[in-house]
Amino acid sequence: MNRKPLVFLVLVAALMTFAGTVGLASLAPGPEAGEPSQAPAATAAQAPPAAGPADQAAAAASQDADKPYQEAEYRAFPVVGSRVAIWVVAQLHLLFAAFVLAVPIFAFIVEAIGYKTGDPRYDRLAHEFTKLLSVSFSLTATFGAALTFMLIILYPKLTNYLMSVFSPTFLPYVLLFFAEAFFLYTYYYGWGKFHPLVHLGLGLGLNVVGTGIMMIANSWLTFMMSPRGVSSKGALLSLTDAIYNYTWMPINVHRAIANVAFGGSIAAAYAAVKFLQAESDEERAHYDWMGYIGNFVAISAFLPLPFAGYWLAKEIYAYSQTLGLTMMGGAFSWLFIIQAILIGNLFLAANYYLWLGMGRVEGAQPFQKFIKYLLMAIVLCFMVWATPRSIIATVSEIRAMGGSAHPILGFLGVMSAKNTAVNILILTTFMSFLLYRRTGKIATVAWANRGNAAQLAIFATVAIFVIFLGVYGYFVEATVRIKLSVPQVLSVLLAMISITAIDVFLFRGAKKTGEVRWGRIPAISQYVLIFIAVTFTWLMGLMGYVRSGLRQHWHVYGIVRDQSVDAFTPTLGFATKVVSATVLAFFLLIGVVFWIASLHDRPDFEPAGARRRRGSGERSPEFPAETAGEAGRTS
Amino acid sequence: MRVPIMFRIGALVLATTGFYTYVGQMVPQKEVQPPKATLLSGDLTSAEMAKVGREIMDTKGLCLTCHTIGKTGALRFPDLAGVAIRAKTRVAGLNDVEYFAQSLYEPTAFVVPGFPPAMPPMNKPPFSLTDQEILCVIAYLQSLGGTSTVTLQTKHHYNSGAAASGAPAPAAAPAPGGTPPPATPPKGSGEQ
Repeated sequence: MNRKPLVFLVLVAALMTFAGTVGLASLAPGPEAGEPSQAPAATAAQAPPAAGPADQAAAAASQDADKPYQEAEYRAFPVVGSRVAIWVVAQLHLLFAAFVLAVPIFAFIVEAIGYKTGDPRYDRLAHEFTKLLSVSFSLTATFGAALTFMLIILYPKLTNYLMSVFSPTFLPYVLLFFAEAFFLYTYYYGWGKFHPLVHLGLGLGLNVVGTGIMMIANSWLTFMMSPRGVSSKGALLSLTDAIYNYTWMPINVHRAIANVAFGGSIAAAYAAVKFLQAESDEERAHYDWMGYIGNFVAISAFLPLPFAGYWLAKEIYAYSQTLGLTMMGGAFSWLFIIQAILIGNLFLAANYYLWLGMGRVEGAQPFQKFIKYLLMAIVLCFMVWATPRSIIATVSEIRAMGGSAHPILGFLGVMSAKNTAVNILILTTFMSFLLYRRTGKIATVAWANRGNAAQLAIFATVAIFVIFLGVYGYFVEATVRIKLSVPQVLSVLLAMISITAIDVFLFRGAKKTGEVRWGRIPAISQYVLIFIAVTFTWLMGLMGYVRSGLRQHWHVYGIVRDQSVDAFTPTLGFATKVVSATVLAFFLLIGVVFWIASLHDRPDFEPAGARRRRGSGERSPEFPAETAGEAGRTS
Repeated sequence: MRVPIMFRIGALVLATTGFYTYVGQMVPQKEVQPPKATLLSGDLTSAEMAKVGREIMDTKGLCLTCHTIGKTGALRFPDLAGVAIRAKTRVAGLNDVEYFAQSLYEPTAFVVPGFPPAMPPMNKPPFSLTDQEILCVIAYLQSLGGTSTVTLQTKHHYNSGAAASGAPAPAAAPAPGGTPPPATPPKGSGEQ
């Protein structure tokens, strides 16, 4: 037997045990943390000997016996501090939880499409997505447990308070977790073992329970941001109000949509890795298709996400204008410039992937000429969105500009311009989708021209309307201007729904001018999918930081003040470093998940001797009738 | 030489996170410390109080997150330049001190037309300004187009205890330089 892997594993285990022991030892309070049990040597030498060593020991023992219990408010975490430790673990827990919640949603949808259409590719795709679930579920639970323990250890008083408010929700949470495990494992291991409808029912159950778990956990964290149902001193008055606080429902909706977008992007990245590693055209075709579906799900969920974000921001403002203004105009305002760069990159990458994808469809050339216009619109919107209100400048430059806002560019840094840019960006990406959908098809319905004209008219009208409202915002009072974002958002939503509805009927029974050649796409497209997944993950980390950091020096806003050494709000530079470290850790772990999932398809292990014997036609001495490998495959 | 795929993917992940970290370093870096209680000695002059008031508005009060001083155009909240002049006549029956006090303790009582009713009471969490800190803020506001007149001993409707207990409000001590306030400020007025 090859002992090398075993020796390696033992070494790794020994190193980890050593590191763990050292870590735990450093967590234990040192002599300086507690009261000294005896005076330092120098002091003792100067002091007159009042009593003998036996008396001193007895006095110390008596003091220890009477020592009252003192509840710790905070405990320190070595090296990085408590806040960063909690931050990283919570973020990793949330990233895996988002993935575990998202995958069942589209596995269920894809499986349902497969059942309805009878196309076995969908069933295979749904099953492949689900393979990633079981390991991710374990990691989610592990990080969840780590987070709970770390909260109890590092922030005992705050944890105690939150437990006192939300204790009735914990038992249902645990029960739902059991139900989640039941549905998840029966859904995965029961693939092909039940009637399809029963299996779909399990998938539905998995989604319902998963959403329930998310909503309970959301009530805890949103309460910390917008507490309700408690007195000004923190006493619980109404648990229902504490759960149903201002930001609970917007966060539920925002997270559900964002989870789907995130999960789709990770599944697409998985497909991209498999595509790049594929050795046959058939494999490449399958993973190209899987990547396309994953990305389609991700971008479809991403398009309405800013609208859910508006709602969340509106509720934050409704709860506290100060909180809202701290977010958009105060300490965190520059964070939204970073966010604009991330989202701009996402839009650019998503469109680029679609444009590259047009190449795999025969007869796509008529549509490819529009790409340059779409690119121009996206870049323009990106530039407007990423323009800050105030420019970083030297004193002389600020004097020359007459303030920190640039005389011309400063006008692009306000919400009127940014809202307009993001809405046009969404419309443009939607148009890219629409063009991609049309490649290789010609509408044959009698009203095709009128249908096309109606779609174009809707698109143009909404684009002009959105731009008009953006410009109008510069000339009206603040109370009016704030409300203009609502018709902008609604008109874009309306355009997307109505144009899609027309398109569905327009291309019903359309004539095909070319086939989709899955797998015939440049390799760079797969790196784009991985880039999108990393950017999504980073964006989630950043927005998780702003949601939590917005409370600044409050654990529970306005109720429980942060008295710890970490009560300050760190710089954005520091925050982005922590986000990056978390994202890298996540991708390292998700790489492990991908690897474990891929073990399923590997051939069974065969000892080297058995392989040699099989090659030479000899029989194994232990298994004279068949080799170990054959036995493994038949078991 | 052909670079292994997993190495390329790793490099892409590293480069992407590295780029975003770099962007994070390019924006202004500000560490926001939790506000500290302002230590006020009883013999502060009005001018000294105004300085402290400005400091409070910048930090603990977060006033300048929303309000501007000396800006024009489409503003989200009222600009404070020259507010000392407007405060004397903004609400009938309120002198500048009472008007400022009402704006800070009970800001939704009067809202400047064209602006949203969005200001929170400054004596409550998350700001929790003390009565003395609010007097300093009033001193600074008086200096914007006028002269600071309040002292730490100045009484108005909200620091006499009458508003909180529901007892009849005592007549506010006339602030030097200000018109005498009414015994009870009219409800439905007040500014932010």
